[in-house]
Amino acid sequence: MTTLSPGPFDVTVVESAPTALTVHVSGDLDYDTSEELVELVTRHLTRVGPAGEWEDLRLDFAELTWLDSMGLSALLMIRRRTGAARVTLHLDNRPDFLDRMLDVTNTYDHLTEAARRQDDVSEAGAN
Amino acid sequence: MTAAPPAPRTRPEDGPQLSSVRERLWEAVLDGDEYAAVDVVLGARDAGLDEETLLLDVIGAVQQRVGVEWAADRISVAQEHATTAINERAVAALSGAGRRPGARPRGRVTVTCVDGEWHALPARLVAEVLRLRGWQVDYLGAQTPTPHLIAHVHRTNPAAVLLSSSLPTRLPTAHAAITACQAVGMPVMAGGAAFGEGGRYARLLGADHWARDARDAADLLEGGTAQPYTSVSRQAVDDLPHLADQEYTMVARSRPRLVKQTLADLEDRFPAMAAYDDAQRERTAEDIAHIVDFLAAALYVDDARLFAGFLTWTADILAARGVPVHSLALGLDVLSRQLHDFPRSSSLLEQGASALAGHRPGSPAAGPGSGA
Amino acid sequence: MLVVDRDGGIVDLNDVARTLLPGVARGDRLHDAVPGWLTEAHRLLARGPQESAPGHRSGSLGDRVFDAHPTASDDGDVVWWLVDDTDRRLAREALRSEQERTGILAEVSSALLSSLNVTRCMELTAHMAADHLADAAVVIAPAQGRRHPLTYACKDGAVLQANRVIDPATVPGLAEALRGFPPVPTRWINPDDIPPWAVPAGFAGPLGSVIVTPLPGHGVPAGALMLLRSSTERAFSEGEEIFARLFAARAGAALSAARMYAEQADITATLMRELLPPTLTQVHGVEYAGSYRPARDNERVGGDFYDVHPGTDPSHESLVVLGDVAGKGLEAAVLTGKIRNTLHALLPLAGDHEQMLNLLNSALLTSHHTRFATLVLASALRRAGRVHLRLTSAGHPPPLVVRRNGTVEEVATRGTLVGAMPSVIAETTETVLAPGETCLLYTDGITEARGGPMGGELFGDRRLRQALSECGGLPAEAVVERVQMLAAQWIGGGRHDDMATVAVSAPKSGALRVVNGDVPIDGSEIWHRRKG
Repeated sequence: MTTLSPGPFDVTVVESAPTALTVHVSGDLDYDTSEELVELVTRHLTRVGPAGEWEDLRLDFAELTWLDSMGLSALLMIRRRTGAARVTLHLDNRPDFLDRMLDVTNTYDHLTEAARRQDDVSEAGAN
Repeated sequence: MTAAPPAPRTRPEDGPQLSSVRERLWEAVLDGDEYAAVDVVLGARDAGLDEETLLLDVIGAVQQRVGVEWAADRISVAQEHATTAINERAVAALSGAGRRPGARPRGRVTVTCVDGEWHALPARLVAEVLRLRGWQVDYLGAQTPTPHLIAHVHRTNPAAVLLSSSLPTRLPTAHAAITACQAVGMPVMAGGAAFGEGGRYARLLGADHWARDARDAADLLEGGTAQPYTSVSRQAVDDLPHLADQEYTMVARSRPRLVKQTLADLEDRFPAMAAYDDAQRERTAEDIAHIVDFLAAALYVDDARLFAGFLTWTADILAARGVPVHSLALGLDVLSRQLHDFPRSSSLLEQGASALAGHRPGSPAAGPGSGA
Repeated sequence: MLVVDRDGGIVDLNDVARTLLPGVARGDRLHDAVPGWLTEAHRLLARGPQESAPGHRSGSLGDRVFDAHPTASDDGDVVWWLVDDTDRRLAREALRSEQERTGILAEVSSALLSSLNVTRCMELTAHMAADHLADAAVVIAPAQGRRHPLTYACKDGAVLQANRVIDPATVPGLAEALRGFPPVPTRWINPDDIPPWAVPAGFAGPLGSVIVTPLPGHGVPAGALMLLRSSTERAFSEGEEIFARLFAARAGAALSAARMYAEQADITATLMRELLPPTLTQVHGVEYAGSYRPARDNERVGGDFYDVHPGTDPSHESLVVLGDVAGKGLEAAVLTGKIRNTLHALLPLAGDHEQMLNLLNSALLTSHHTRFATLVLASALRRAGRVHLRLTSAGHPPPLVVRRNGTVEEVATRGTLVGAMPSVIAETTETVLAPGETCLLYTDGITEARGGPMGGELFGDRRLRQALSECGGLPAEAVVERVQMLAAQWIGGGRHDDMATVAVSAPKSGALRVVNGDVPIDGSEIWHRRKG
């Protein structure tokens, strides 16, 4: 029996590498909390990192207790932001319920698709 | 507003024709054959049976029998849904006839079920009977949240609200609906098995009227519902001063914890339960939750008869399914240990246990409200 | 001061008493000289103190009110001290009527504020005005079209409402009052000028006096109030006129609040009508039933939706749609409206679900948000008693099919949600329902319902399948009702998401009676056909 008590929502942002941001998400990512995550991530993506531009954004869901459709909507919005900033989104330590939702909605590949960086493009052009 | 008519033999006008129509509808409903069911009622109408009799003494009687057959474990709960759906179609086939010849046009009334009430057919029958008798009826159906009901009342200004409930566990919700209607100046007529024998809980919860059945509701309305200009604003505790001890609130709020603890204690005392699979454990948990719900309802109205009636009815239901009844007494015992600090709960549990001990299982009634 | 002997003879009176009782002199008999109340007080006092109550010792002399205090002397004479009590009495009287009026106003306010229904507020206003302020009252509401809603009440009588074409100019001050201008003083209104329509049926006696006062609303007049008093009663005083205006102010505020509520409720109802889930019935020999419970009790709409679009005839597929928009409440409902309309427009393309979903996806894409929808499309066609289904999920939980024997199967269709990504893919799966079999489309509000006997647990797929396994052979309505009921009971009193279910069933017993296997029928049609 799965007894889920709604956890208090919290996000912390860590510079896990010179070009990578890791965001630890804990608690319920839902109707009431998803906007907060999008705002926070957007703010960090637009600031300049130690090595200049960010290349990776890792969302760490080890402490995630629940995610509803507004939570998924937030992930899709973050994917738009990372796409525009040419940053690759990673979804780490996904609980089962998150995997199920990504599977049913067929969104995993889109969310985690590697960003095409400008140098990638030029490399591709050179070949 | 229970559509339950008196037992068939007590009605003098019950001729062989009526019982034959009833029997044929029962067969059709049991077969899940909506076309046959519709044929039966329309055929009987064309043969001269009046619509009110068809609604109450045929369809209502068959629905009542569905409940009894379920209680006796002769049909499944899913079949009960199916038969209700077929009966609903039979009602729909009869409706739309407008008011019966000679009935004069009357005012507008609202017929609704208490939120959480799934037995909508009795209220539907009341609505149809009132339509036949010339009322303009807004039938809001099952599962009507009280805010919807009040918005509807503001919009339509009915002469009265008729509130139906079959489950005693919905009494606190019914009370909220009654006081909300009265606060906007609307008289409330309560009906259905939940309101107890002789409508005792309808009076307790401050309903302006109580109707024994659909005909009684129609007669009462025709007599006038009175007090059209008074609005009464009051809190639950004004009607029920015993609520001040907070026992109801406490038991209702800690239901999940009580169930969990009772289940754990039962496993300690009843070693066979260790072998239960998840489904069996869940069913036991649901049974305990039921006991807690009825205990809470009895605390709300402060009436041991409500709780004892539920227990003896459950004993009959269990007996009909060949389930040992002593588990029920064991459950009460475990529960009373958890609630020993609560005097009203303890007393209810004690009186319930002794009612159970003195009860000889018989053939169960259709519902815990109708037997008690 | 007045001295009276035991037998009622006036022994002496001072100058003040002489002024009060002009023409009275020593030696006159008391009962010839003073009003009865004082004679009576003296008589009772003479009989003995136990019979004499202080209440008997006050009354009027001329136009003023006096208390009489006796002092008995040894020789049997009584000295009556007359103390003027007029001003104190007037003050007390004024206070009492002030308290009464405050009480009335409080009663009026609480009664009127309890209702947000315009008709009822007008009834209450007329009823209470007739009860407390006059013999009869008429509330004249602003014209609706050419007619004015009128509400009549007589004291202790029934309230009557009528819509009539009237000319407000025929009542002095009424046209002005309806425009919100201050009332005309009552003394200016000649009762003979009042037309018959303005007098309630059953009003006793000729009219004596009339007050016409506006019912001021919130910025706009809410109507006018007429108070009528019969000629056998005294005319309205100035104080009563002022009080009538206070009463009208409260009634007007309540009436206009009710009117604003009614207008808002009408607008909401009109807008909502398009968003409400439809009632489903049998279409082209296939049974449909739907049920919807929004997340919030005070709303009727939310993020879940369903529709059945009938095929142009029984040989064409009908399209069933059930979906779920991220979010809840009105905001989500507006997006469901957009999706439903778009799908309606795309119906000619329903032969290819994936193409339809891609077009829908493009129509929904916006840079402003990633609010998406998940949905299931089901195209249904009945052939020879069996229902052929093409089912496509767009990021939605897959539909479940319950067979006659209670076996529950998941329909293997998957696809991408719509409205947030540049393009979508979807796989369509086919299945066939034999008579008595049902396909259930549902939103995750059902499986993610949290509760249960121990609280906090998900209803989940397992319980949904278990519930469905008992529904083989049941009509569509019964399946939908069963599933919704179990989920609702699972939740108990807790919070929940929107919950929607649609059942598509092949009718169990209709097949035998259907001509050519595809004629849409209902019960009454069969009956008539069989009779004929």
